[in-house]
Amino acid sequence: MNDMESINRRILDRRAADRTLPPYRAALIPEIVALLDGFFDKVKPGSRVSGVRRVGGGASKEQFFFTLKDADGNAEQYLLRMDPRRAITETDREREFVLLSAMAGYVPVPEAAWVDAKGSHFPQPAAIMKVVRGVTKPSGSGVKVSGLGTWLGEKLRPRLSDQFLDHLVSIHAYDYKAKPLPGYEMPDADPQQAARWSLNFWRDLWRIDEGKTRPIMALAEQWLQDNLPDCPPENLVLTHGDYRTGNYLFDEETAEITALLDWELARIGDFHEDVAWVLMQVFGTWENGTFRASDLFEREEFITEYERRSGRTINRQTLHYYDVLSSYKCYIICAANGLAAARSQHNHQDVLLTFLGAASPMFAGDLVRLLKQEVPA
Amino acid sequence: MTPNIDERLASIVRALSEVILPHLPPEASLAQEQVQLCIGHLQILRGQIDAAPAFEREELDDAVALANQLASGITGGSATGTALASLVSTVRDSATATDVRSACSAVHEAIERVVQAVSIDGDTATKARLSEMILQHEETRSLKDRKWCAPFGFDTL
Repeated sequence: MNDMESINRRILDRRAADRTLPPYRAALIPEIVALLDGFFDKVKPGSRVSGVRRVGGGASKEQFFFTLKDADGNAEQYLLRMDPRRAITETDREREFVLLSAMAGYVPVPEAAWVDAKGSHFPQPAAIMKVVRGVTKPSGSGVKVSGLGTWLGEKLRPRLSDQFLDHLVSIHAYDYKAKPLPGYEMPDADPQQAARWSLNFWRDLWRIDEGKTRPIMALAEQWLQDNLPDCPPENLVLTHGDYRTGNYLFDEETAEITALLDWELARIGDFHEDVAWVLMQVFGTWENGTFRASDLFEREEFITEYERRSGRTINRQTLHYYDVLSSYKCYIICAANGLAAARSQHNHQDVLLTFLGAASPMFAGDLVRLLKQEVPA
Repeated sequence: MTPNIDERLASIVRALSEVILPHLPPEASLAQEQVQLCIGHLQILRGQIDAAPAFEREELDDAVALANQLASGITGGSATGTALASLVSTVRDSATATDVRSACSAVHEAIERVVQAVSIDGDTATKARLSEMILQHEETRSLKDRKWCAPFGFDTL
């Protein structure tokens, strides 16, 4: 059996077992109202749910805003995040809940209020969070699928970039030994375990979802297996896993980042994995031939600033490895995970998932470009 | 004469755009998003549908060309030999296949087995040659695929 973090093995086993389940249907608002009423009767008797409405955007969870008024008449806005039967990413609500609780007060995150990790009350695993003010993209920036390539523009860019980088540096500096994260395991059995855990998880997910291979994917997989980088203990950090523009909220007036979102892929791993993800071209923008990662930094600018602020040194060979792994992951997400969920009718937005499948050739092109490069010294 | 496929798709797009979408309530955000995606997807299909059989045929032809290149240019130990024999047999079968997409997948899978086998018993020079052949093939192939998918709007091609 391939070496990986225990939770990821359980996630993959669940993914494989769920393949034969019957189709999933998008929840209707009256159904969500009834579910929330029943839930709060148990956990917060005397409270009242109102204003339930679906949240648009996103490619993964079913999400609903609602207001909860307690017995004393105090009202607060909440967000229900519920897994569909199968999604474009396969993750664990309990794990996300643990992390959000740990990050509260350390970096800006939504406050995790309740979790139903096993889907004991809700039909699927679900979490409820307090709503945070802010937007993921400037108003009027148009509709983009799943927040890819969000254009922030000249005014917002300099006001967001420092915060974006500083929060990432803070996440990587989180002292998980002093303040352990229950369920998060350390890939420290040997120097290559951090990279191997990641590769094994995505490779097995690709197999479970019956991804259709192509020569560049076969070559990339073998290259990733043959070139696992060492990760010295000091490089093992808490990684966010999906750190990019589109996955944080900011206040449009003050340009303050009010919450870092989508922690579901977080783990203890090599910090280069997050750095490479930030630098993925798909999450950035191009202007007059200049690439900006997350529309905030040019590539070398980000690397230099990350090193300066974190005190860490980016190993260019390791970064190159994670550049390749990032494109490999993106190919799997679009060409296998999303399509498998749609094929089995296990998602509430199959048409979005098949639409996103068309992004996969771009990642095949990325893999060609990266594997043709001389490995940096 | 049967109704033209493009005209049928166009009428579906029009019904979704002008009849269904305007009547969805503002709070039905998921339904609105999905209708818009359906419209976009159908428009792209209208542009691709006539060219799809030729595109898929070319994808198979490209895969077969790479397979033939590997079969004649790669050598190795027993694992590589077995994988190459399987590749040659798969290519032979593809010549008479009526299901072009399945045939292409089968050739790709056979190429994957060659990659795995060379990693087991191929020497350094063979590994480099294999890598070069695949990268050369995929540089062209991925560009064709990216152009095909360009109407989806993800690519900065």
